[in-house]
Amino acid sequence: MSTKEDILVSENLSIGHGSKAIMDRINFRLTAGKILAVVGPSGCGKSTLMRALSGLDEPLAGKSMLMGVDLALADQALREATLRRLGFLFQGAALFSSLTLRENVEMPMREFLRAPKREIRQLAEYKLALVGLADAMEKLPSEISGGMMKRAGIARAMALDPEIIFLDEPSAGLDPVTSGRIDELILKLRESFGTTIVLVSHEVPSILRTADFCVYLDPDTGTMSAYAPPRDFLRPDFTPKAHAFFTQACLT
Amino acid sequence: MSQTSKSTSWARTEVLADGTALVTLGGVWSLHEELPDIIVKGDKVRVRAEDLGGFDSSLPSWLYGNFKNIRHIDLAALPPRLQALVQLAEKASVNESPSADINVLERFGNWGVDSSSSWSRAFDHIGNTALGFIRSVFGRAKVNWSDLPLQLQTAGVDALPIVALLGFLTGLIMAYVGLIQLRQLGATVYVANLVSLAMTREMGALMTGIIACGRTSTSFASQLGSMNLSQETDALRALGLNPIEYLAIPRIIAVTLMIPLLSLFATFIGVLGGMVVACAGDLSVEQYLTQVILAITFKSFLVGFIKSIAFGFIAAWAGCYRGSVAHRSALGVGEAATSAAVLGITLIVIADAIFAVLFNLFKF
Repeated sequence: MSTKEDILVSENLSIGHGSKAIMDRINFRLTAGKILAVVGPSGCGKSTLMRALSGLDEPLAGKSMLMGVDLALADQALREATLRRLGFLFQGAALFSSLTLRENVEMPMREFLRAPKREIRQLAEYKLALVGLADAMEKLPSEISGGMMKRAGIARAMALDPEIIFLDEPSAGLDPVTSGRIDELILKLRESFGTTIVLVSHEVPSILRTADFCVYLDPDTGTMSAYAPPRDFLRPDFTPKAHAFFTQACLT
Repeated sequence: MSQTSKSTSWARTEVLADGTALVTLGGVWSLHEELPDIIVKGDKVRVRAEDLGGFDSSLPSWLYGNFKNIRHIDLAALPPRLQALVQLAEKASVNESPSADINVLERFGNWGVDSSSSWSRAFDHIGNTALGFIRSVFGRAKVNWSDLPLQLQTAGVDALPIVALLGFLTGLIMAYVGLIQLRQLGATVYVANLVSLAMTREMGALMTGIIACGRTSTSFASQLGSMNLSQETDALRALGLNPIEYLAIPRIIAVTLMIPLLSLFATFIGVLGGMVVACAGDLSVEQYLTQVILAITFKSFLVGFIKSIAFGFIAAWAGCYRGSVAHRSALGVGEAATSAAVLGITLIVIADAIFAVLFNLFKF
């Protein structure tokens, strides 16, 4: 049973593509305001898990509760209302290619806020400034680098001050300074607004800096083999594969 | 001062003795509420909070937006987490965002530059296409020949139903209009000459060319535009392949081969369409066919054939050209498809007019 503080619950969740399961028996609970990192080798289903948890894809079996709502069972109105309370950064940023960065961030605000144009513009500029794109806001996605696209994607994910943000590899392709700034931003969002953050990442130092809990997906067993604070993953007596993954990543 | 009530956001300004503008803000700040307007003069501002309730990102964004150009801004009297959110944005932004507003003269200048570069890109593409053809003839170009059968099928065989329908209707309409006029002169028998000559020399090729622009040019523009968008054309370049040679040449060859055949087919069907109307009116089938055989010469077939080759080339080139210069966005791909059809049809009509003058000049 999920408590009121459990913003995200995964119960015996089975995920996959089509009818083929790639990961099952995923169980964890995340309280509001915490940062969860999903880790595991490439192709183990981290992004698929994020999509299932956020309600973008239906799980093959089991239950995922987001803010107390089972999105697989919710009617369309409740589903849409719940989805509006979350932000999602896709692996490729998924920016609207025909809109400038500012327009990309403004888009959800225009749809769901009744604020005047000037205020919406101001909000979009602030969100872009938070991710260091104040001087690129009139550019189109095709005119910026992959790292900048990622940052613009984060700004758009934050547009409506969501209660929970899913970030699919937010630091991938970023230089260490920008990556550090994104970590700082993630921590500030949690600290200032109590935002819950679920992120997929391979950057162990970044995970150690930001995450409260870590889920390790093991492709060999096809299930989640660890759910613990990231520091625990460094203990030699921890689940061997998860420990090896962390220490290897730290060494590289 | 724009204070309204304790529950909604408010802000007021006053000027201190040393010229510093003191901004006091309070209330509950929410994205879903209208935020207060303030005007701050001077380059020194101190901000403080009074009865500040909850806030979301609307407050740091309001502070950032209103004070980012102020030289000396003192936020020390604000709650630390609010200060941190404003400073995080200030730290991350280096330069001012460029203004999106441009005046009419600049717009006109931009339009001029865009137009001239668009023409130069078009000529560049024509030149590269011609060069690609020459290189492929000598076997020096890397052309994706495995694409050719598919393109022949999509541009040719798959177009048969629409070409048949429009060809038939074109012949039918011409016969109907011709019959009404020729009946007044008692020369209804010449409706067969009218339909068969018009279809072989003009309408067969023209209709097929326009259909090619509608379905094939737009399809090519979308395909190549999408490939441009997803950087597939860049990947080809990185592999040392010329996208014009690799992608455009097989498409242009396929359409240039198929349009003359489709044009012949449209001509035949159009003459049949004319026969339906003529025979439902004043003519017998024998009379109609006799007149058709008398009217059509090898020369008229040749005229239609030459035109259809040119129209096929134009339709395919327009699609490939617009696709290859498509802007890298979903809108850009859509625009490329639209402009390919417009460019193709315009060029076909211009080419048809030039052919009319040339054939008349050489008594062809």
